[in-house]
Amino acid sequence: MSTTVTVPSGSGASPAAGPAPQPQREIVRHWATPITFAVLTVISLLVFALGASGESATFRISTEADAVQIPDIVAPTVPVGWIITLLLAALTVWGLLSVRRRGTVPGWGSAAFAVLFVAGFLVWVVGAADTTTVFLTGLIAGAFVLAVPLIFGSMAGVLSERAGVVNIAIEGQLLAGAFTAAVTGSVTGSVWAGLLAAVVAGALVSALLAVFSIRYLVNQVIVGVVLNVLVAGLTSFLFSTLLSSDSARFNSPPHFESIRIPVLADIPVIGPILFDQTVLGYGMYLIVAALYVGLFRTRWGLRVRAVGEHPKAADTVGINVLRTRYVNVLLAGAIAGMGGAFFTLVNSSSFSKEMTAGQGFIALAAVIFGRWNPIGAFFAALLFGFATNMQYVLAILGTPVPSQFMAMLPYLVTILVVAGLVGRSRGPAAAGTPYVKE
Amino acid sequence: MGTASDLSRKALLPAAVLGISGLLLAGCGAAPEEEAPGAGSETGTESASTSAVGTENSDYTGCIVSDQGGFDDRSFNQSSYEGLKSAEEDFGIKVREAESTSPTDFTPNVNSMLQAGCDTIIGVGFLLGDTIKPIAAANEDTHFVGVDVTDPEFPDNVQRIIYDTAQGAFLAGYLSAGVSETGKVATYGGAEIPTVTIFMDGFAAGVEYYNEQKDADVQVLGWNREAKTGSFTGDFENQAAGKTNTTNFINEGADIIMPVAGPVGLGTLDAVTEANAAGKDAKVVWVDSDGYLTTEQGEVILTSVMKLMGEAVHDVIEADLAGEFSSEPYVGTLENGGVALAPFHDLDAAVSDELKTELEEIKAGIIDGSITVDSDYSPES
Repeated sequence: MSTTVTVPSGSGASPAAGPAPQPQREIVRHWATPITFAVLTVISLLVFALGASGESATFRISTEADAVQIPDIVAPTVPVGWIITLLLAALTVWGLLSVRRRGTVPGWGSAAFAVLFVAGFLVWVVGAADTTTVFLTGLIAGAFVLAVPLIFGSMAGVLSERAGVVNIAIEGQLLAGAFTAAVTGSVTGSVWAGLLAAVVAGALVSALLAVFSIRYLVNQVIVGVVLNVLVAGLTSFLFSTLLSSDSARFNSPPHFESIRIPVLADIPVIGPILFDQTVLGYGMYLIVAALYVGLFRTRWGLRVRAVGEHPKAADTVGINVLRTRYVNVLLAGAIAGMGGAFFTLVNSSSFSKEMTAGQGFIALAAVIFGRWNPIGAFFAALLFGFATNMQYVLAILGTPVPSQFMAMLPYLVTILVVAGLVGRSRGPAAAGTPYVKE
Repeated sequence: MGTASDLSRKALLPAAVLGISGLLLAGCGAAPEEEAPGAGSETGTESASTSAVGTENSDYTGCIVSDQGGFDDRSFNQSSYEGLKSAEEDFGIKVREAESTSPTDFTPNVNSMLQAGCDTIIGVGFLLGDTIKPIAAANEDTHFVGVDVTDPEFPDNVQRIIYDTAQGAFLAGYLSAGVSETGKVATYGGAEIPTVTIFMDGFAAGVEYYNEQKDADVQVLGWNREAKTGSFTGDFENQAAGKTNTTNFINEGADIIMPVAGPVGLGTLDAVTEANAAGKDAKVVWVDSDGYLTTEQGEVILTSVMKLMGEAVHDVIEADLAGEFSSEPYVGTLENGGVALAPFHDLDAAVSDELKTELEEIKAGIIDGSITVDSDYSPES
């Protein structure tokens, strides 16, 4: 949904433009975002403001054990519903104006709109539930835990696809990592050995992907799908034969202890998420930051992106396309393997069959609606984790919505965000195409 | 599962081998076949079977097809499988098995059993009901057994093994309400299917009964009996979801949680162990099998609502051998021992003697009919 108009470049602001033939500048107006704003504002009016239950929603933040006590937030549903609707309406008008003026709505505008809408939704839905109080810190912390494997998985996706290899095998890499971490950790009794084994296992799955798709030019999507099935079958087989025969020996891995950073970890709500994590949790932040800087601020990143966008051009200027792809795909597998280790060395006490339960595919979605950008994918994964945990918490509080509809919530949120707020998401041009030197 | 014979392995392998055929797994697939022709038919003679059907029935083949959980799910697939294995030992029958790894395996697995010439095919799990129905209708000479298949509309060559687990869950609900210190107990399911919700509904009914008897106000989180809505993680695999969901319950004040979600419940054990390490005092009610014996974290398990499927499968095979196959469903109840509450094991001290006596009285009351467990999900017997 966009309209294109041609305006003289530099009109108004720059009178310095000379009499020479004026270069023309095109403004592509993206109306999708303000239209989504308008639709959501109407929903807010009908549901959050007019449909408010009249109760007050209470958000608990501190437990008795916390060092810093924050009083509960009590939000009366009716006034909060109206205030949020008015703010959303104001943002909508502003969004329409800024599209008229400059073609798009700035990213922070969409972010502000999304935050307000979610706040409105939370107040409305908690106010309408059987129990009108919720532990906000737990809601956010749980969302974060659910998001960790998605974040690792989406980093693997970004890294591989930026170099032009579609990585459908994230699910398999996660599962291979979870399995080997559990077995190696149990046998050696060392978490570090478990983590190392997970990294190697993830990279091995990636190596198969790389060899088949880069060397033998097999369709990347098909290789990825086959690898997922292969890893699922192999780990289930070994689980049934080896792990369940002696789970004390093969399937009781040691666990990473969380490292608490004093003082900072006491910050309400975000303290435990940012400053009371295991090595893997801190490592995840480092990887996201390193990938962002690496891909967009270094020569290496420029080359990787060139390989993913236009391998022929990259080859012409002397970049080794195939080597870049091999390295990136292997690194991607290593990162996904680490994500797999999170399942068995941090979150769960042991490995169980197909315990990744399709999260590799959700990570793939996070890559796309994070626009192949590490930071974007990070927030996409967090949003998905939040929507999922929100669904769980709402079921506990007791909403009249049937569970099947609640289960759709994360996907519904994803579609809304992708269609309305993120806008066009375009992947690396050469992703999925094998490169053959002529 | 050292005793698993060739077929279960073969059933897992096609999935793995699918694309990269034989590349990696050929070696793994060949080895197990040596032990295949059941050692059980030999050892069967030594077990002193008093049954009229005898111990030499090698012309009879009993076959079993699992759902996605597999025969090592520490739950209903495993207990049904063990029931068939015990029939193999006692009666000297032949046994074939096929494990499913996804719902798309159900029909091929049942068909391959049919082609293998099975006399009886046992389909384990509610989800296999829809698979068995048309196949049974088309193959009237083969007997089928549907474990946990609640749908009553089946042809005459199908016997269903079903359980009124609401009775056992009712006892667990009453117990939990009595043991809870926070006055909040919780339950959640893997997916909203009748064999899951019957546990949740019975549990909530037991808490309600406790509140009536004691004039108490214990709350149930995760299941609303009037609205028939509740908390579900969405599948039977995602342990992490079970863990997060359980942490949410503990955050909202629940101290006893009953997961009805197969392996997802292992996440509940992790969450409870973690919460207890941080100073809470939460407990778990396991379902299907005695979780104290089948999981690694029995110390937090208060009790389990058991479905004794093994014995039912064993008995159905015995009846079929004797030529007494019946399409009347076998309904497991507290009365016939098909449903039972497991011992309290490590947490025995948490249950007062008074509560234990009351539980015995309620159990007797349910059996003689003076207490009715009023659940919409109970099977029509």
